[in-house]
Amino acid sequence: MDKQGRGLSETVWTRLDRKAGAIVELTVRQLRHRLSTWVVLGVGVLLMALLLAFYIDAVRETFEPIDNDGDSVDEDGDGYPRGQEDKYGTSDDFWDGSSEYPGSSVFVLEDDIDWNDDGRYVFANKSWDGTAFFEPTWIDDEYTGDWWDSHIDWRLDENGDPLLTDCSDWDLEMIYNRIEFGNACDYGDDDGDGLTSYYVSGKWRGEGSVTVPVDFYLQWGYWTEEVYVEPHPKEMYINEDDIDCFDSNGDRVDCPAADRLSGTHGFDDDGDCLSELIQDIDENQNGVACDVVWRSSNGVVTGITADENVDEDPDEQDYIGELGHRMFVIAVGKMAFVILLGLFIPLFLALGLVRDETENGTLHLLLSKPINRAEFIVYRLMGYLAVSGSYVIALSLLVGVVASVLGPGDQLIRLSDLPVWLGIGIATTLVLAAYGSLFNTMGLISPKYGVYICIVFGIWEFTMGSFSIVNPGWSVASISISHWALQMIDAIVLMAWPDTIQWAAMDQAFDIQSGLSYFWQPPVHTMGTQSPGISLLISTVVLLLVTVTCVFVGKSVFNRREIM
Amino acid sequence: MTVGSQKPPAVLIDQASKWYGQVIGINDVSLAIDGGVTGILGPNGAGKSTLFKLMMGRIRPNQGSVRLFGVDPWASTSPYRRVGYVSESEKLYEWMTALDFVTTLARLHGMTREEAADRSAHVLDFVGLSDVMHKELGKYSKGMRQRVKIAHALVHDPDLIILDEPLHGCDPIARTSIMSVIRELGKRDKTVLVSSHILEEIERITEQIVILHNGRLLAIGNLHAIRDLLDKHPHRILINCEDPRGLAGLFVSQDPVFGVRFPSDGQLEIHTNNLSAAHSILPSIIVDSKQSITSIENPDDNLESLLGYLIKEAS
Repeated sequence: MDKQGRGLSETVWTRLDRKAGAIVELTVRQLRHRLSTWVVLGVGVLLMALLLAFYIDAVRETFEPIDNDGDSVDEDGDGYPRGQEDKYGTSDDFWDGSSEYPGSSVFVLEDDIDWNDDGRYVFANKSWDGTAFFEPTWIDDEYTGDWWDSHIDWRLDENGDPLLTDCSDWDLEMIYNRIEFGNACDYGDDDGDGLTSYYVSGKWRGEGSVTVPVDFYLQWGYWTEEVYVEPHPKEMYINEDDIDCFDSNGDRVDCPAADRLSGTHGFDDDGDCLSELIQDIDENQNGVACDVVWRSSNGVVTGITADENVDEDPDEQDYIGELGHRMFVIAVGKMAFVILLGLFIPLFLALGLVRDETENGTLHLLLSKPINRAEFIVYRLMGYLAVSGSYVIALSLLVGVVASVLGPGDQLIRLSDLPVWLGIGIATTLVLAAYGSLFNTMGLISPKYGVYICIVFGIWEFTMGSFSIVNPGWSVASISISHWALQMIDAIVLMAWPDTIQWAAMDQAFDIQSGLSYFWQPPVHTMGTQSPGISLLISTVVLLLVTVTCVFVGKSVFNRREIM
Repeated sequence: MTVGSQKPPAVLIDQASKWYGQVIGINDVSLAIDGGVTGILGPNGAGKSTLFKLMMGRIRPNQGSVRLFGVDPWASTSPYRRVGYVSESEKLYEWMTALDFVTTLARLHGMTREEAADRSAHVLDFVGLSDVMHKELGKYSKGMRQRVKIAHALVHDPDLIILDEPLHGCDPIARTSIMSVIRELGKRDKTVLVSSHILEEIERITEQIVILHNGRLLAIGNLHAIRDLLDKHPHRILINCEDPRGLAGLFVSQDPVFGVRFPSDGQLEIHTNNLSAAHSILPSIIVDSKQSITSIENPDDNLESLLGYLIKEAS
C-alpha cells in the first residue's frame, strides 16, 4: 500500500495508464502538427464527398428501364414490337418477317398430296402451292397471296386465256426438267374435254381439277381476311413481366418473400411463356409450368431458377434502388475505406511512428523516462489509432447518415444502414491497426528502405484485396490483411441485412444488373456453418493476431537496437 | 566517492568497453560514483557521450557491466525513475511551450496531469524560466533550451542527474545560470555528472573530476590535486603590453620564473615552474612597472595541456 492507501496493482495500473495517456496524447498532438496528416485525412474526406456526389447524382436521375427480354424492338420495321408479334404468332425477323404482322392475312393450310399418296386428283377453288397438271375453270391472275416469290404469271390474253409456252408435244421428262419452279406451260387439251390443261410448278390460285404427278407434292388452302390491329407502344413490352413472390398463404408480397424462401413463385404476366413459342414450359423441372423456383437452405436462398419467359422483364426501378444502394454501401466500404484509406493512412501516419522520433533526435527525451520500448511502441500505435480510427469511424458514419437519408425506402433515415457503416468503420480501424503495426515495424527494421518495402506490400494488398472482392474463395488472397477486413464487411452486411443473399440471387436470376454480386458475396470463413457471426469473429481474430504479431516483431527489433 | 557501502552506488561501471566497429568508444573503464557533482572531462571523441549512453541504456557494452543503483539499464528501465538525463541532442518538440513539454515528459513518470504541471512549473522556476514558460520552444535561445532540458531532467526529483555538455553553445549569462543550478543540485545531496571539454567550466562547478581520453579513464579525483601536479609542469604566461622588454627585466629576477621570450611585437612570454606562485607575484610586478597591460593569457592552462601532461606522466 502506498501513502494514499492504494494497493500495489492499482498504483502500477494507474501509472501505466498515465504513461499511456501521456504518449497517446503526445502522438495525437504530433500528428496534428504534421501537414501530411491533414493532407491524407483531407484527401479521404474529398474522396468520400466525391463518391457521395456520384451517389446523389445516381439517386436523382430516374433509372432507365431495361428491356431484359428484348421484346420491345421492332426488328422487321412493320410498326409492331416483337412482344406483340409474338402474341399474334407473326415473325419479327428482319429477313422474312416484314410481310407478317398482327392482323396480316395468313395462309391457312387445308390439305396436301404428298409424293407417295394414293389419291392424286382433286377439284377445288383454292390457293395452291406445289407442282400439278391444272385444268382450270377460273384463274386468279392477280394472285400473290403474301408469298413474295414463285408466283405464276399467267399472261392472260383478251379472251382470258393464258399465253404460255406450248409443251403439249414434249414428253413428261422434258417438261419436269425444263419448267422451273414459279413457271407453267400449256399442255393442251390432253383429255379432249374442251378444257386446256397446264403444267404448273409454283404458287397460284384458281378453280379446276388438279392432278399431282407421282413423286411430286402439292399443298393448298386459303388466305384469311386481313384485319387492322392497333400497334402497341414499345413501352408496353418493357418491364412487362415483373418478379412475383407469394407468401405461404399464397398472397402476393414484395420480393423476397420472408416466409417462403423456397418453392414456387413467379407469374407469367405477359403470357409469353404459355404461348406456343416456348417448347419447354417447365424448364426448371419442378412440375409447375411457367413458374420460378426458389431454393433455400437454413433460411438462406441458395438459388433461383425461372422457366423461360417467366418474370423475365422485371421493373428495375423497384429493385435497382435497394440493390444499387446496398452496392454503393458495400463498394464504398470495401474499395474506398478498407483498401484505399486502409492502406494510405498507415503509409503516411504509421510508418514513422517510432522511426521519425529516432531521426528527429527526440527519441532520447522519451527513452530517458521509465518507459520500456515495447510499451512505447504500443502507446504510439494507440495514439495513431486514436487519430486514424476515430477519423474513419466518424467519416463512415457521416457518409452513412447522408447515404441513408438519400437512400431508397419510405422512412426518413434507413436505420438498418448505420450498423453496416459502423461495421465498415470498425473493420477499417482493424485494418489500420494491422497495417499500422506492420508498417511501423518495417520502419524499425529498415529505417532507410522500410517505405519501399511498405509500398511493395501495399501493391500486394491492393491486388489481393481486389481479388478478394470478386472471388473471396480464392485461398491465395487470404494471405493478405485486406482479405480479412473485406470478409468482415461481407459478414457485417449479412448480419445487418440478412436478406442480402436473396437480393443478390434475384439480381443474378432476373438480370437486374445492379452489380451487387460483383461487390458482395456471402462470407467464406464460416467453418462450414455459414454463420456471418463466426466469419466476423474469425476475421477479427486474424486481424488482431496480425497486429499483435507485428507489435512483437517490432518490439524485439527495437529492443535490440542501439540508439546513438 | 563512496564505494562498497550498503546500498549500491548511483553509478557503477566495471571494466566496460564499447566499440563501434573499428572505432573505440570506451575502453576498459571502471568507475563508481555516488553523491556530489562530478565533472567528466575529455576532449571531443574521448568517450564522454558513449559513457552516458551506456548509463542510459541506449547502447550495450561489448564487455564489462554498467549498473545504475545496482540495475543494468540496458535490461530494465526501472533506474530511470531515479535518473534525470540531459542529452547533447538539441532537438525538442518545437511546437510545444516549455511548460507543456516538461509536463508531458513528467507524465511519463506516472504523474497525474495536475501533479506534472505543478512540478513542471516548479522546476522551470528553479532553472529560471518561469516568465517564459508559456512560450513555444521554437522561439527559445540556445541557453534557454538547455535549461528546459535540465528542467525536464529534474521534474521527477531524481537522485542521479546526468548532463551531457550542458554548457555547450551557451552565452555567458546562460552559462553562469546553468552553473549555479548544477552547484545548487550538488548541495541538495544529488549525484550529478556533468561532461565538458572545457576545463575552466568544470573548475567553476566542481572539484571532483574524471578525465577521459581516447576512451580510457586517464585520471579520477580532486581537480586541485590534479591542478597542483599541473602547476609543477612548465607553464607559459602571455602578456600583451607596451614595452615587453622593460617588463621582462622585472620578471627574470623572480624565483618562479625561469625564462622569458618575445614571440612578437608587444608580447611577453614568461616561462614558469609554478603557475600559482607566478600568478601571485604578477599583480605587484605589473603595478611596479607602471605599464598598461592589455591582456594576460595562460595558453597552457587548458584541458589539452593538462592531458598532454597527464599522458606524459602516465607513460
